[in-house]
Amino acid sequence: MPQEIAGLKFLSNALATPEQLTSSSSSIDGVPTDLETSVRFAGAQLTQSAGILLRLSQDIIAQAIVTFTRFWLGPEGGSLRIYSAKDVSAAALYMTAKLSFQPTSPRSVLNVYTFLLSKEASPLWFVNPRGLPTEPVPEHYHLTEGGYQAQRHILLQIESVILRTLGFNTHVALPHTITLTYLQTLGVASPAVARRAFEHLNSSLLSPQLLYLTHQPNALAVASIYLAARENGVKLVDGEWWEVFDVDREDLGFLVVAMQSMEGFARAESEKWKGRMLPLDTEEVDAEIERRRMLEAGE
Amino acid sequence: MSSSKSRWADEDPEADALIAQRKREKEEKRRAKAEKQRREEEQTQLQAARSQSATASPNGDSDAPPKKRRRLSNEQQQQPTSGVDSQQNQVKSNLLQFPVLEWGPCRHVDNFERLNHIEEGSYGWVSRAKEITTGEVVALKKLKMENSPDGFPVTGLREIQTLLKARHQNVVFLREVVMGNKMDEVYLVMDFLEHDLKTLLDDMREPFLPSEIKTLLLQFLSGLEFLHSQWIMHRDLKTSNLLMNNRGELKIADFGMARYYGDPPPKLTQLVVTLWYRSPELLLGAETYGPEIDMWSLGCIFGELLTKEPLLQGKNEVDQVSKIFALTGPPTSQIWPGFRSLPNAKSLRLPPSYSSTQKGTAPPLLPRAKFPFLTNSGLQLLSSLLALNPAVRPTAAECLKHPYFREDPRPKPKEMFPTFPSKAGMEKRRRRETPEAPKRGQEAPKLDFASVFGGQTGGDAGEAGAGFTLRLG
Repeated sequence: MPQEIAGLKFLSNALATPEQLTSSSSSIDGVPTDLETSVRFAGAQLTQSAGILLRLSQDIIAQAIVTFTRFWLGPEGGSLRIYSAKDVSAAALYMTAKLSFQPTSPRSVLNVYTFLLSKEASPLWFVNPRGLPTEPVPEHYHLTEGGYQAQRHILLQIESVILRTLGFNTHVALPHTITLTYLQTLGVASPAVARRAFEHLNSSLLSPQLLYLTHQPNALAVASIYLAARENGVKLVDGEWWEVFDVDREDLGFLVVAMQSMEGFARAESEKWKGRMLPLDTEEVDAEIERRRMLEAGE
Repeated sequence: MSSSKSRWADEDPEADALIAQRKREKEEKRRAKAEKQRREEEQTQLQAARSQSATASPNGDSDAPPKKRRRLSNEQQQQPTSGVDSQQNQVKSNLLQFPVLEWGPCRHVDNFERLNHIEEGSYGWVSRAKEITTGEVVALKKLKMENSPDGFPVTGLREIQTLLKARHQNVVFLREVVMGNKMDEVYLVMDFLEHDLKTLLDDMREPFLPSEIKTLLLQFLSGLEFLHSQWIMHRDLKTSNLLMNNRGELKIADFGMARYYGDPPPKLTQLVVTLWYRSPELLLGAETYGPEIDMWSLGCIFGELLTKEPLLQGKNEVDQVSKIFALTGPPTSQIWPGFRSLPNAKSLRLPPSYSSTQKGTAPPLLPRAKFPFLTNSGLQLLSSLLALNPAVRPTAAECLKHPYFREDPRPKPKEMFPTFPSKAGMEKRRRRETPEAPKRGQEAPKLDFASVFGGQTGGDAGEAGAGFTLRLG
């Protein structure tokens, strides 16, 4: 590998292979594709929420979500019938924080996850469809010492599983910083555009098209800028400026459409699971598959 | 995946139309281009055919040109595809291509057959091994996993993460990570190199020639410059962590202490770098530091290459500090502004005469008597690397441009490097005489440097430590 390209690793990611995109360990184990998509979507949101409660910075959270998403990909990835999405989410976040400038303790992580996964107290729609109780009841999200020991064991075990599954490829390059650089290069001074671009980048983390696993950060950055500028009515330079940032028109088009579709996707997901809990562990996934089987048999 | 891809297509007819429009435009462009190319090709073919028919024998004439013409005059379908190809190539050549990287699960360590043990470092056991399918000889390093209440040791994670990123001809190549039957059996598979610099120096009768030292330093600097450009600090540079093969190539190894740094530098542990190669700011307890600590270690290694002996062999932290000051002269607020505010500097009592003798902010030249065979520019480089003030130490990139490397004797070509019998190849490497890198998780010691100058005020700073009486040892 030439040196100039080797240096670019800092700005680039390992991408999913076509084989990893076409089949997953979960689908081999009989998990319907749409269910897998839903669980991945919920798991990524769970990671995001936990990261916020742990006061981690967004770059760590984003890296953890990418690691979480990578884990499930391909026939050699993790299966939702063997590994619980909630455990993988917690371990991905814990491990990413450990490697960052803001490490956090297993206890903090597990406290936060106990709260977020509480069926009574969780603020997450896919865990607690009834919504927040009027009065907080701490008993609902208290982590007992025994529970802590058991959960901690699982956390550290799943951490090793993630590392093994990803071949220790923990590097995740994010598009956020280069987005700002590109905006400066393009002479866009509007904070609204920058904010909107970041919003697109952050919601793309939850994309069912796995944008962070199929496209390099520079392409994500360019697409978010293109879309944010258009939504804000800010005119960018004439000409094919994206080529300056090494993105071709086709990739840009695909990413823009994918980013635009995120809102609709999120709406459809919450509509689809309205009033129901999304399965975030293996038992719940098994139960959901069984439920669907029964429904089909009943028809 | 296909289902999710179709989702946006269904939902966004507008954008779809946009894309379709673009595609149509592109297709048209391609067609026009292909047409143009076809005409041009036809022209050249015609010319070629003409010239050929003029010169070649009837035999050859009937052979080559008709074949080409047949393809050319074929239906138009074939023409556009080749046009598309060429256009795509053109577009691609304009855009930067990122390295193609993938991820996949770890393989099992049973794919390797262990040959012999090489050494035990602070972060793992290293052995020579052979990949069974390819027969290639590699170095297999087992990560130490005990004492990890926080899960996978962060040092191991950092070692892998930084090594995977540090692809450079002067950094040891991590091929892959493999695992054993148990989750805590993790091995790094790396290129095998015959020597480490420490063992070589120990076994040599005479130190390296000046031209060889330059070749070694240039490779070392080039690797280090790359690491720093990737925001990686090595934090344990020493001669035993510099590996060499029999082709004169030097590679930086053992990233057990390496980590990313940032700007502004994050708060980091001071318990890094093997004592003899540890910089004064670390010894004085600086909580933020940067790649300058690697440059200090590089200075120590430079000195070691010159004299064949480790430059500053302190017995403990306090002794190390006094050895450093004996070599460089004591710090003053002129040459190292702000050193007084470092945690461990409070107990440091400096001989009063020094504060006035030093003039200017440039680091003083090291005593020439210590390095009799070094040229002036070489001494200047060494002195700047061993500057007490981290801010004035040159960066690796600056060192690479230093006149020392351009003056005679020129660096020896790698190919001309002598070869040495390998210690690592067959037998266990000898027990290290160098102290080991500090262990992670230890408490940073609060050091009392009151005795560094032995209570005596020293004589003149110029002579290598002659003026200091050390109470330690």
